[in-house]
Amino acid sequence: MIQKLLPFLTLIALFAGLSIASPSFLTTSNLSSVIRQTAVIDIMALGMTVIIIAGGIDLSVGSVMALAGLLGCMVVNREVSIPLGMFAGILAGLACGFINGLATTQLRINPFIVTLGTLGIFRGVALILSNGLPVNVSVPSFQYVAQGNLLGIPFVLWILLICAAAIHVLLEHTRLGRHAFAIGSNPEAALYAGINVSRVTTAAYMIGGAMTGLAGMIGASRLMAGQPTAGQGYELQAIAAVVIGGGSLRGGEGSVVGTLVGAFIMGLLSNGSDLLGISPYVQQAIIGAIIVFAVWVDELRKRRVA
Amino acid sequence: MLVELRGIEKHFGGIRALRNGNLSVQAGEIHLLMGENGAGKSTLMKILAGMIAPDAGQILFKGEPISFRKPVEASAVGIAMVHQESLLAPHLTVAENIFLGREPKSRFGIVDRKRMMASAKALLEEHQFPLDAERLVETLSPAGKQLVEICRAIQHGSSVLIFDEPTSSLSNAETDAVFRIVLRLRERGMGVIYITHRLEELRSIGDRVTVLRDGQTVHTGDLSGLTTAQLIQHMVGRDVHATFHRNSVTPGAELLRVENLSRTPLLRDINFSVRAGEIVGIAGLIGAGRTELCRCLFGLDPINSGRIFIAGNETRMRSPRHAVQAGMALVPEDRQRAGLAKMLPINQNITMAALDRVSRFGLLNHAEERRLGSQQAAQLRIKLSSINQLAGRLSGGNQQKVVIAKWLVRGARVFLFDEPTRGIDVGAKAEVFETMSQLARDGAGLVMVSSELPELLQMADRILVMRQGRLVGELPGRTTQEEIMYLAAGSSEVSR
Repeated sequence: MIQKLLPFLTLIALFAGLSIASPSFLTTSNLSSVIRQTAVIDIMALGMTVIIIAGGIDLSVGSVMALAGLLGCMVVNREVSIPLGMFAGILAGLACGFINGLATTQLRINPFIVTLGTLGIFRGVALILSNGLPVNVSVPSFQYVAQGNLLGIPFVLWILLICAAAIHVLLEHTRLGRHAFAIGSNPEAALYAGINVSRVTTAAYMIGGAMTGLAGMIGASRLMAGQPTAGQGYELQAIAAVVIGGGSLRGGEGSVVGTLVGAFIMGLLSNGSDLLGISPYVQQAIIGAIIVFAVWVDELRKRRVA
Repeated sequence: MLVELRGIEKHFGGIRALRNGNLSVQAGEIHLLMGENGAGKSTLMKILAGMIAPDAGQILFKGEPISFRKPVEASAVGIAMVHQESLLAPHLTVAENIFLGREPKSRFGIVDRKRMMASAKALLEEHQFPLDAERLVETLSPAGKQLVEICRAIQHGSSVLIFDEPTSSLSNAETDAVFRIVLRLRERGMGVIYITHRLEELRSIGDRVTVLRDGQTVHTGDLSGLTTAQLIQHMVGRDVHATFHRNSVTPGAELLRVENLSRTPLLRDINFSVRAGEIVGIAGLIGAGRTELCRCLFGLDPINSGRIFIAGNETRMRSPRHAVQAGMALVPEDRQRAGLAKMLPINQNITMAALDRVSRFGLLNHAEERRLGSQQAAQLRIKLSSINQLAGRLSGGNQQKVVIAKWLVRGARVFLFDEPTRGIDVGAKAEVFETMSQLARDGAGLVMVSSELPELLQMADRILVMRQGRLVGELPGRTTQEEIMYLAAGSSEVSR
């Protein structure tokens, strides 16, 4: 039980510790900047949670983010419509997820390899489409997505909360979600139970892709540009958030709350290091150590079941 | 005494696996270790083999106190274990597995593959094991893998050998081969400890027996003075009928008909039917095609030709999904691998195949799901602390009941049971049989594949016998083991 709560307690301790250590931590401006900085990873990690629960992995999300952000920005410029652009970005992510899912289930290749390949392919496509140059957005109001406030709260926080609620409902309260858990827990038992394993797995990658597409548009809004080189290395941060929050790379385990806690732990560590003047090099090492520690604690818990 | 275990205690977290485990084995005896699942047999043997450390108690080897921190230390003094689950390297050959860690080396420290292969072949021949030393272990059946495990253990030149249910996955001919080996080892003065569930095996080989119950040694003594009923009573601590007799019901309409089904070269021209209320047994040696038949019927493997009818309607089994939708259920041979999601709660395992019963518009009704799960668990008498308990924490028999409960919730009409009693204890076995009988009474049609002939004779209305992918005969339920074996082995092999 204590092991399950450990990520939670870590987050609370971190929050309390930083509040005491740095007077500028517990301020509205700092906290909303933390939210704005981490929203991209948070939303990506929500999608990754679904994929990992279904027993998969997606290494291509960083590239998908760049490609979706790029295409979305192109649509924003052409149609002068932010909703249409957002929609296009999400759709692009969905399509990338569909490709990942199809390759995994129909060609029966290990998802690690499939998405390692599409990591290169999607990035390549983004670079080809943009000629390697950022697509600057000419519609000024686009920056509202990442920078605006709604009812005094950062707009991205609203997006994050809605996504979190939606993914939570999907995982815990729908048949699709339950099937994802079943497949991740034991793909063969799921097949024997008559579950359409290919379809559910593909759906998981598509949900992950859509979330990544949305994250790509938020990232683009922050920069007011679609960057073909955006999101490099983000896949590892998204996976780390899921794992720190109790998700299992063997599949069948994970939760929205856990993933958010994991993402916030990483976000606070990064913010806290900045406030306390700790070098970003040290930050990386700390986060790496926390990942290993989190997985070890989780292993201890699981060994008693197997 | 060759080896003695005294007052062994072991806890896993809050669970007490052993509280007073005692066992003494002499040189040149076959000592049976019995008890229900969860009685602590495997734990006690793992302690003897150095795989886990006891919390309290003493191990004496040839009168000297000894303690092991690692399995290597136990095997160094000559204690080896043949494991229940396969601990082999699947991508290596039979020979490489037998000599894993002690490969014969040539002068420059390079593995002498020729010598290794030759020694392996000699060993297999000596014990008359039907195995090819050059084959990859991953291509072997569970029985074949077990034989490799046994070879590996006896090759070490041990003085104490522990068999953890070596025959639970073996056919009768292979079981006999194992017994011959065990008897030969006894002649050589080894102490053999033999964990088993199969009561009918005992008489033929055991000298003495130790019975464990709830982590305690409750009986030790000569086997000859003990009746089977007494043994069972020691094991369960209550009266259980050793044999349970099923009352057949009058069969109803035809539920399953198979016409000219072939999947060459594994299955050829299979024809049979199952009616409502019937239990049709399928007997045969390992490799006769029984599991393959179940897989084809359930849509796991494609067929070359033939037709399958469910309740009179021809059904194409393109995937298990089609089979499940048509009302078919499979309780697989390897339940850990294919039947159960161990890391999910019992409840979610039970409803896995029938989420439409507990959901509306794709949204799950958790309260309804718990109600349905609890109801099934109670009906099948699944022993659990909570319906939200992880399925992997249940004993083998209760896990099997969870798999059955899954299909009951789904409302399946045709059940395929592939080795339904594999690795479950006497009490749970009777309950699984009772559940199967109840299914038949409720009008389901059952196919029961089993290597345990007494169990087939007890349960089946008719017994179909398979040999080399063909159905070679049909016998009435009240036939004899000899009749079945005669058909299953073919007359030539029986006379050999």
